[in-house]
Order: sequence, then C-alpha cells, then structure tokens
Amino acid sequence: MISEDKIKNIIAEVLGSMATGDQASPSQASPAAEACEELCDLTAVDLKKELQVPEPANREAYLKMKATTPARIGIWRAGPRPLTRSLLRFRADHAVAQDAVFSNVSDEFVESMGMFQITSCCKDKDHFLTRPDLGRKIDDETIATLKEKCKQSPRVQVYIADGLSSTAIETNAKDAYSSILQGLKGHGIETGTPFFLKYGRVPAMDVISEVLTPEVTVLLIGERPGLATGESMSCYMAYKASTTMPEANRTVISNIHKGGTPAVEAGAHIADIVKTMLEQKASGLDLKL
Amino acid sequence: MKETVLSAGIDIGTSTTQLVFSKISLENMASMMSVPRIQIVDKEVVYRSDIHFTPLVSKIEIDARAVRTIVEQEYAKAGVTPDQVQTGAVIITGETARKQNASEVLSMLSGLAGEFVVATAGPSLEGIIAGKGANAQQESKKRGATIANLDIGGGTTNIAVFNNGEVIDTACLDIGGRLIRFSGDNSKVAYCSDKMGCLTRSMGLDADEGTPISHGAIEAISQRMAGILEEVVGVVPATGELATMVTDKDLKRDYAIDYITFSGGVADCITTNCDGNDFEFNDLGRFLGRAIAKSRIFTEKQVLESAETIRATVVGAGSHTTDISGSTVTFNDDALPVQNVPILKLSEEDEAKPLETWGRTIAEKVEWFRLKEEHQTPALAFKGFDDISFEGIQLLASAIIQGMASVMNDKVPLIVVVECDLAKVLGQTLKAQLDFKKDVICIDTVKVENGDYIDIGQGLAGGKVVPVIVKTLLFGY
Repeated sequence: MISEDKIKNIIAEVLGSMATGDQASPSQASPAAEACEELCDLTAVDLKKELQVPEPANREAYLKMKATTPARIGIWRAGPRPLTRSLLRFRADHAVAQDAVFSNVSDEFVESMGMFQITSCCKDKDHFLTRPDLGRKIDDETIATLKEKCKQSPRVQVYIADGLSSTAIETNAKDAYSSILQGLKGHGIETGTPFFLKYGRVPAMDVISEVLTPEVTVLLIGERPGLATGESMSCYMAYKASTTMPEANRTVISNIHKGGTPAVEAGAHIADIVKTMLEQKASGLDLKL
Repeated sequence: MKETVLSAGIDIGTSTTQLVFSKISLENMASMMSVPRIQIVDKEVVYRSDIHFTPLVSKIEIDARAVRTIVEQEYAKAGVTPDQVQTGAVIITGETARKQNASEVLSMLSGLAGEFVVATAGPSLEGIIAGKGANAQQESKKRGATIANLDIGGGTTNIAVFNNGEVIDTACLDIGGRLIRFSGDNSKVAYCSDKMGCLTRSMGLDADEGTPISHGAIEAISQRMAGILEEVVGVVPATGELATMVTDKDLKRDYAIDYITFSGGVADCITTNCDGNDFEFNDLGRFLGRAIAKSRIFTEKQVLESAETIRATVVGAGSHTTDISGSTVTFNDDALPVQNVPILKLSEEDEAKPLETWGRTIAEKVEWFRLKEEHQTPALAFKGFDDISFEGIQLLASAIIQGMASVMNDKVPLIVVVECDLAKVLGQTLKAQLDFKKDVICIDTVKVENGDYIDIGQGLAGGKVVPVIVKTLLFGY
C-alpha cells in the first residue's frame, strides 16, 4: 500500500515538473502564438508564416516551403491528433467560409459602386442555395428594368454578382472593377451600364447577354469558399454569350484575392483579355491567349 | 505550350575562353483558369565548346580579334547563327577582367552575341555564376543547407556561399593554377604573379622569374596555397597571408558552412586522379589540385560533387543568368531590349511611409543619383504591396511620376521594377497618367537591390514575360 504521504510527494513532484515545463514553453512558442495568448481572432494569423513544429532541423527552409502554399503543413501534432490550436483554426476557417456564403452583399456596397441592383429568380439565401436553377434566371420584370436602365449593345458589359461568397465581392470587386475600366479605357473600348445581381449564378450572364447584346460580357462573381480563403473571386467572360452556347465558350480567371492574384492586377489582366477577345471575336477554348 | 529560348554563355577567363549554348524551356504552370504563371522549367546545355587558351597580345591585353575568331568558329561548329540567340551573357572574368581592353573585347563581340547577350565582370558575380553552374546554389536549396563553392581557375579563386538557395557571402582570392608558370623544361619559373611572389617570400622561397625551381618547392608552394583555402573556409585559423591573397574581400566566416563544392580548372585535379604529365600546361595546377585533395577541407568538411568543373562559369553564364519576370507585366516590345540600367531602390523605411510622401522621397533619391551618374537614367525599384487598392495604385503611380519628373524627359522608357505582383495595373496606370505619351516598362516578381544593374529583353511566351538579367555588384563593394 502506498501511504498518503507518498502520494502527496508524487503529486508535488509531478506539479513541480509541470511548473518547469510551463517555464520552458514560452520561449518555444512562435511570436504569432504569443500575440494570441488572450482570446483573439485565430484567422488573423498568417498560416504561411506560422510554423508549429517545435524544433525544426532547418526553420528557414521550412518557412520557405510554407511560404509557397496555404496548405496546413508544419502544424505539428499531439499524439496522432492535431494540436488544439490547429483544430480551432480549422474550424475558424470553416466558419469564415460559411459566413462568406450566408451573408449578403450590403446595399451600401452596391450604392458605393454607383450601381443599381437586380435579383435573380431566387427569393432568399436558402432559396438561392437550394435552387441553383433559379439563380441562373431573371424574370420578365427584371429584364424590363435592365432594358430601361442599361445602354443597349455596348462593346463590353461588366456586372457583378454575389455568387457563393459575398465576402469576396465586398473585398475585391471594387478594385478589380476600377482596374478593368481603366484598362479598357486605355485600350479605347467603351463599356455599358454596370449593375449588381443578387443571388446570381454564372449562367445568368447568358440571359443578361441576350437582353443587352454586348460583344463581350464580363462577370465578377464570388467563388465557393474553401478553407484557405473565403475572399476568392472569379471573373467569367464570354464573347457574344447566349443561353445556347457551350460551357467551353467561357473564359475564366479564378483565384482573385490578396493571397492569389491581387484584385487590381487581375483587373488589368482582364482588360487585356477582353481586348484579345474583341480582336479574335472568340472566347473560352476558341480564344488563343 | 512549352517554349524554348536559346541562351549563349561566353566566358573569357584569365586562362581559358569557352562558350556554351543552353536551351531554356518556359512553360505556363498555372491552370487554364488562372492568371498565367510562366516559369523556367528546364535548362539544358546543348553545346559545349572546346576549351581554348585566352589569346593575349601582351601580359595585360586580350587579343580581341582572336577571341572573336574563336567565338565565330564555335558558332559555326554548333550550327548556331547570332540571330537565333535570344539571351545569355558574355563575361570577362578573373585577372583578365582587370585588364584594360575588356570593353574593346566586348564591342568586338557585340554583333556576334545576338540581341540580348550582355557583358559583365567582377569577381563576386563570377563566383556567384560559377556557384550556380556548379549546382551549389540549387543543392543548397534542395538540402536546406549552406554550401560554399570554390571556383579555382588559372588566376583566381572565386567563392560564393549559398544558404537555402540565396547568396549570403562571396570572396575572391589570388589563388590559381597558373599564377606560377614554368619554362619549357619546367626547371625554371617563367612567370610568377606579384601576390604569389609575396606568398613564396613569406615561406622563404624565391620564385622570381628566371629562378630555378625544384619539384619539392613546387609541392610546398601548392600546399601553402591549399592552406590559404583552408583558412578562408575556416577549417584552420586565418593568417596574415590570407589577407594578402584576398583580392577584393574575404569571407565573413560568421556562419557555419555545411558543404563545400569545387569548380574551375583546378577542380578536375582535386576530384579525379590526374595521372600523366604533371607539367602538361607548364603550371602548378595539378600540384595545387592534389594539395587541396589532401587538405583539411576534405577531413573537416563534407565535399559534394559539383555538376560542372572547368565549365562551371560558362554554364552558369549560359544557363543561370537569365531569369524571367512575372507573367502580368507592362511593356512595349519596341522599347526593348534595355541594357545596363542602374537600379534605384527604395529602402524598407521609405516604403513604410505613406504613399503621399513617396514622390518627394523618390525625387530626392533621383537627384542624389544624378549627382553621381549624370548621364544615366535609373530604373525605380521597390517591393510593393500584396494588398493594395485601386486608389492606392493611383497614388503610387502619381508619386512615381512626380518623383521621376527630373528624368522623365530622358529619351529612354520609364522603367519600374517591383517584387509584388502588380506590374500590369501599375504600368497601365502610369501610362494612363502620362497620357500614353511615354513608353513604360513595368515588371514584377523580380528582386533587385541598390547598386544592381538590370537588362530586360524582348517579350517571350507570346509577349507575356520578359527575360531579365540582374547583375549584382552588391557583394563586391
């Protein structure tokens, strides 16, 4: 039998060793982790710069590798499981993605862009998420609005839709749009009247193109968010788009966000692609870039 | 859509002149759905010339006409015409670089070496180029290690130290296989460089021209030379003689070297068994090679095999000097190529200040630059921002135009080099703000430093990217 005293001694010993362990840990923790001692936004930490391996053989080389990818490498482990920090970050990133999908692009944002707003055939967010077919359509009343408010048959029609990430639009659409307009103006290409489509999916651009008959249609739309970012935006373009054209006629530039192609740079690139489309009278797989 | 570019490398060294042609393959590595990302995916040396002795008309003068003849013959043998060569580098290296008629040689070669081939020299750059040719740079990146490459030629030893693929230190020493040469029957000294004279005198040996020299003395001198190399890489403590033999600067030796590689003509005698006539070239190259193989560098450090030995510099010049810009950039093909454009880079502190102040900062720097270099127009370089708004770009462009105002009337394009991916929008903005009246070259994903010079070639891969050669002088001063 172990006496009570002995047990007390063992406990004291264990507590003692834990205390020294605690003292050692702050020096090992990365600066990013230290800044997060209090409750704070885990997603604010740049994963590409955070290395959780406690004693890497070559920290510099590891960080260089990390800088090339948003993938969760170098996150260490507790036994076979991820560290609490990694798990929480994973869930936080998932929450960011959900927020991006379920939130709405604000009316203020649309106003600040100087655009008017139209809505697809979806009634609300749930309707939009459960009925992809309706996100591709606009009703007759909306078509009439478009006809009334927009310039007919411009060379290029640019518009914005929320798609699956409102965050992406609120973060990137303004810079990309301004940059596209500057680029097109530099090439001497006129554009139509811009607007915002709520609850919009990509193929709505075909319907809109048939109404407004531009040569090239350019759509900025929020991408389905992933765990790397909720801010990624895509640009879909097509030459003389119609509801009967094949999907292969669409040209797409994806991954527009600060960790991918910055919005302003993407906009400048898009302007050059539109110019090429007008020259070649083609888009998608037919376009030679 | 792979595209290949033919690159020439010509190395006119103290002892030898060589030429290589390399094929550099470019490919768009991004998915069809992304902004293109053109990268160099392969470099292959497709032709290696014979190794010629560098023709000299006197001890200090290169025979430019004879060099041209050699190069012309090698072009013919390779079946390459100058107009096929899209990029590359001519470098005049080693002691030869200090000789007086380097520029004459370069002008003699200019028509031959294609549109884009350029001239560079300087011991630091040579060491870096040789280190890349010997594969030390790539290996240091692969292993995540620090590797020092010692390029031991006829006249100099150029050292470049790479850590995780980046140059961290360079040095140049007057240690080479042909710094002492012998008479036809190898009984007397036919030539001894001044520095070698100092070294032999410190050993109590006389190696002046015309003095008889014994086999034993040659061995002893070679061992002392190998000893200097032991000192420079830090396996034995440095002596006063190391300082004497340093040409421009010593290594810092405040970091640990994990591996050593050897290149240059002498390297062949280190790693392979050089049997046969020790005096084939009437010099001490083979003795030096053997002495290095027996030195403490081999016992104290791990020596890696290098990809190239005597051809490291020329392969480096042909295959590893050209890089490419980012894939969304702004340029007019008729404004290119541009060569030897000095870099004026903003410091980190400058960049941390608000954009509104940049105009003044740039203007001050340009003015200061002009005081030193009256007739040159610098390219403006800075790191830039990953996350910048359209308004930010507008502010940035007007600051650049304001800052560069004093050189805006120069009859050269406005050149801006940034690290972050924003050259297309910045270039378009600059053009728009300048009413499309001035040529603008704006490239990104290129890292330069103050004191560097840059060459930019004509567009490749359907005009998406431009080839870029950054000539680093930084480590030399």
